[in-house]
Amino acid sequence: MKEYGRKMLELTGISKSYRRGKLRVPVLQEITLNVREGEFVTLIGPSGSGKSTLFRLIGGVERPDEGQIAVDGKVVTGKRGLISYMPQQAALFPWLSVADNISSALATSGTSKKEAKEQALEWLHRIYLGGVAKEYPHVLSGGMQQRVSFLRALLMRRDVMCLDEPFAALDALTRADMQRWLLELWESDRRSVLFVTHSIEEALMLSDRIYVLSPAPATILQEITVPFERPRRADVWMEPAFAELKREVLNLLEKGDISRV
Amino acid sequence: MGNKALRSFLIPIATLIGFIAVWQISCIVFEMDPWILPDPRTIALRMAEDSALLWKHFLSTLKLALMGVGLGLAVGIIVAIVLHSVSFLRTALSPLLVLSQNVPIIALGPLLMIWFDFGLMPKLILLIIVCFFPIALSMLIGLGQAEPQLREYLGMIGATRWERMKRLEFPASLPYLFSGLKITATYAVSSAVVAEWLGASKGIGYYLVLKFKGYDTSAVFGAIVCIVTLSLLLYGAAALLERLVIRWRPRTSDDWAGESS
Repeated sequence: MKEYGRKMLELTGISKSYRRGKLRVPVLQEITLNVREGEFVTLIGPSGSGKSTLFRLIGGVERPDEGQIAVDGKVVTGKRGLISYMPQQAALFPWLSVADNISSALATSGTSKKEAKEQALEWLHRIYLGGVAKEYPHVLSGGMQQRVSFLRALLMRRDVMCLDEPFAALDALTRADMQRWLLELWESDRRSVLFVTHSIEEALMLSDRIYVLSPAPATILQEITVPFERPRRADVWMEPAFAELKREVLNLLEKGDISRV
Repeated sequence: MGNKALRSFLIPIATLIGFIAVWQISCIVFEMDPWILPDPRTIALRMAEDSALLWKHFLSTLKLALMGVGLGLAVGIIVAIVLHSVSFLRTALSPLLVLSQNVPIIALGPLLMIWFDFGLMPKLILLIIVCFFPIALSMLIGLGQAEPQLREYLGMIGATRWERMKRLEFPASLPYLFSGLKITATYAVSSAVVAEWLGASKGIGYYLVLKFKGYDTSAVFGAIVCIVTLSLLLYGAAALLERLVIRWRPRTSDDWAGESS
């Protein structure tokens, strides 16, 4: 197994609760996790387990009640503009062309305008979307929009990429296709990724490590290291170890469910 | 498509011709006195007779209305952006904003002339007060309508307030802005005519007063024809501008339905 470098993202004892009327509803409890340099880490948990809240905390859109967040060794709790982000819906700007959608995001992260334009075009060609670079996003299919959205996140000059259930809205076939595509692209340019999903296969397919979350208020049930080598084969799901890990995660998720009913 | 476009053009024209024909025939059948209701032919002849004079007044009113729309547009956009950005001002100023529309221009006009004399100034102020409101109001709504997903995305990547305005809220408000502009374009001509009516030495409004006082009914109708033409012209220009600026929306086949959305 490859040894990973320094911790690019480190969450320590993060807790967060929301006020609903007079009640305080805890959403996250004592979450501690990290993503090392060049590592693909997945958070898996049932729907409504506060994964998106965790992302909002990392993005600095909200502040945790307790705990701290560090990016590349520096404590940056509540600070914005340090991560790149790919949401569940592609979130492309309808009035910008595909290429401009990418280059304007790069400009936000400090790339010069000219360089951003060149990079956007070059990479669109590389992922075979050069032909639609000048089109508006609404002419693209859902899968193509997600590719553009991923590329936009990949190219931003940021230490950590946060992907929030990026394939949840796609149909099964497109989804499998997208997973392979993302894997290939990511393995050629290893960035530190924090990925959220509620699909166990997706998590095992893509990641180096998995954190299993309990239902709200979320705690980390277990940390699992995925043993499959890189570059990962597309048929890795046929291995016995894959099925075994899948069962383990499934058990964890079910147990987490029962212990709270 | 071509057939449909042709039909959507021909049907209103046919209706208009039918209307004028019924008018003409009724005037002959019921032997109307021309100073009560002149027939279309008499009006046309009267307009031809006065054409040089009418054209001069026509241009003068067009100029005034265009200046009003232009300044109203600028003031409207600034008001909308300021009120959107500073919620305190929005709360504080909204009664004043509505008030500015409650005072009838027929009362405001003479007051402005007492304060600013009879030149261009009072007319422009009057027109700005009429013109800015539909633009400011619809744009203010538009600025708040930006898609939450895009808002969230910009928050997560750490876009500044200014970037959010520039990249998201302003472009998202443009369709609303143009709805307002089209209303303004229609109001501007009537208001310009009223302003001229109250005190001017040129323009369709001035011509109208002159002819009305002389019981020259067919010339009054001639003035009405000019006012309607001007209004249509301004509305058409606003609609054309909208098409040129907002190109990202998939074009709907039915124009009118598309504009109302």
